[in-house]
Amino acid sequence: MLLPLLLATSMAQAQTPFVDEDGFTHPLRNLQFNPGLDQREFERATFQALDVYDPFESFNRRMYHFNYRLDQWVMLPAVRGYVYVTPRVVRTGVSNFFSNLGEIPTLVNSTLQLKGKRAMNATARLLFNSIIGVGGLWDPATRMGLPRQPEDFGQTLGYWGVPEGPYLILPALGPSTLRDTLGLAGDFAVERQVDYLEYAQASGGELGLTALRLVDIRYTTNFRYGQLNSPFEYEKVRYVYSRARELQIGE
Amino acid sequence: MPLLLRLTALLALVVAPAHAADLSAAEYGFPLGNPFEATIATTPPGLRMQVPSDEDIDQADYSLRLRPEREFGLPDSFWAVKRLRYRLARQSGPAPLIFIISGTGGHYSNGKTESLKRLFYGAGYHVVQLSSPTSYDFISAASRYATPGLSSDDAQDLYRVMQAVRAQHPRLPVTEFHLTGYSLGALNAAFVSQLDETRRSFNFKKVLLINPPVNLYTSISNLDKLVQTRVEGIDDNTTFYEVVLEKLTRYYRQRGHIDLDEAMLYDFQQSPLKLSDEQMAMLIGSVFRFSVADITFTSDLINRRGLIVPQDYPINEGTRLEPFFKRALLCNFDCYITEQLIPMWRAQYDGGSLAQLVQQVSLYALEDYLRQSPKIAVMHNADDVILGPGDIGFLRRTLGERLTLYPRGGHCGNLEYRVNAEHMLEFFRG
Repeated sequence: MLLPLLLATSMAQAQTPFVDEDGFTHPLRNLQFNPGLDQREFERATFQALDVYDPFESFNRRMYHFNYRLDQWVMLPAVRGYVYVTPRVVRTGVSNFFSNLGEIPTLVNSTLQLKGKRAMNATARLLFNSIIGVGGLWDPATRMGLPRQPEDFGQTLGYWGVPEGPYLILPALGPSTLRDTLGLAGDFAVERQVDYLEYAQASGGELGLTALRLVDIRYTTNFRYGQLNSPFEYEKVRYVYSRARELQIGE
Repeated sequence: MPLLLRLTALLALVVAPAHAADLSAAEYGFPLGNPFEATIATTPPGLRMQVPSDEDIDQADYSLRLRPEREFGLPDSFWAVKRLRYRLARQSGPAPLIFIISGTGGHYSNGKTESLKRLFYGAGYHVVQLSSPTSYDFISAASRYATPGLSSDDAQDLYRVMQAVRAQHPRLPVTEFHLTGYSLGALNAAFVSQLDETRRSFNFKKVLLINPPVNLYTSISNLDKLVQTRVEGIDDNTTFYEVVLEKLTRYYRQRGHIDLDEAMLYDFQQSPLKLSDEQMAMLIGSVFRFSVADITFTSDLINRRGLIVPQDYPINEGTRLEPFFKRALLCNFDCYITEQLIPMWRAQYDGGSLAQLVQQVSLYALEDYLRQSPKIAVMHNADDVILGPGDIGFLRRTLGERLTLYPRGGHCGNLEYRVNAEHMLEFFRG
């Protein structure tokens, strides 16, 4: 009991070798600084990060503002209403159900990218969640140590070397690229074809289901317009989107 | 019930020794000894205070129309910040209300403000979250001169906002008012509290300053300096961001999948790929540089100074802002002060030298007030990167027992730590 405590104390002293009489530890003391304090690495790195292929910027920016307003005036109020009328169990069930449907494109795309382990993961999740989890309303698979690892057709295209093409802001759906838009269409087609749990057929005739899915997407997406609180939110989102996609494809 | 409360308070007094005395690192128990790591990763999830989840909080966002003239003067693409928004979490019955002022460039809904909200809401307070006077929305929608940095002016703007918030909820049963802020928000809170002594709209009962800058110029010089660290691995083809992202990518490859949760950061810093102090310093510095870029651009545009955006340049929702973003990114805190703040201060208030400005906007200006006001307390960390030599000495001299100095935590890295959270609640309770 005492020994780890003593060890911790000595380690703490090793990490903070200097404490002045006020008790201040001078955290910047041990940093290696550029001698002239005139390196422009932050500027250089950021300028380079701003360099995203965006030939339709003017259109994209207008679409961005359109989506922002749509979000404020339609989507978020809808989510608030949804939260107000449904108990949490129901919302989690709905999210699980749609995420279970999403395992179909994950399975297809993992296979297309020759990722056997991931395809097996998706298959196992699909089976456990559909059977034990009653059509996907519960998610026992995650508890069994099978985490959700989504793959989409845009990632598959990227995996096989298709370039991302121009950056695009899609109405209501937000940031994308030409490649990822094609990917989105591909995944949609797959879902229609497979018609798992007859969802595709049911949602064809039932607008309510599609609406519920949209509300659920918004409910589970943490992003809020304006939260970055910057006049340059458009540029920042664009950078984060393109980097996140690169990470997802490389992974 | 009151008896129970009193007993609990008594018990707390017995169990927790007077916390004004300095804690040693071992007593304190906060695990992150590296100030940069603490600043970035904050408190490990297992060591945080139990707080209510968002779904259990009765809260909503509201907006105030404070500067109607801006609705015509600002470009269309500013439509979202022509009104000042804030968040109010309300208790079901009468309760004390606490205002939380966010730190540099911070939105009212940013992570630190949110976690303070959860803490105080869980302890039975109505909570109002306000954006920092240096944030994009506040500058556009609430700031009279739209040139933040003069602490007394910022305090007046904030005070007006607080009064408007109170007026918007006349039926909210408030028993008493409290005030807190972290980082730059703490400095703002001190000036607001002083203003309240004469205006008396709130009669704040308790005011807590969490990690305030003492000398504002020391703080911004430190922050400007952070992006000047020597980072290994940078060359003509690889920028700093790429170095960091490369490490993250390799880390994810090893793990086999991506999960961006909070525990990930600790694992990452335990792995051989962990970031060096210089790299973390550079990251922290970069975050602040982005905040300054926002301030520089917004302030210049609203005042039509023509430093970043040419005067009367037409801007609509489709206008490319990248060239202006780039210009604004070249400007650090020091540049903002010399190019925008000081000229405005001289024109508006017949201001003098930089040294005089620093004196006026830092905690020094409030030395007597802080000394004489038992309702104000400060919580600070011995390894905070925004402090310089002598700053803690100033706080000790001025506040005495009302300063709680934690041995670790970096800059605001220990806000959610159980010990800190308990001290905060205890201070407002007492």
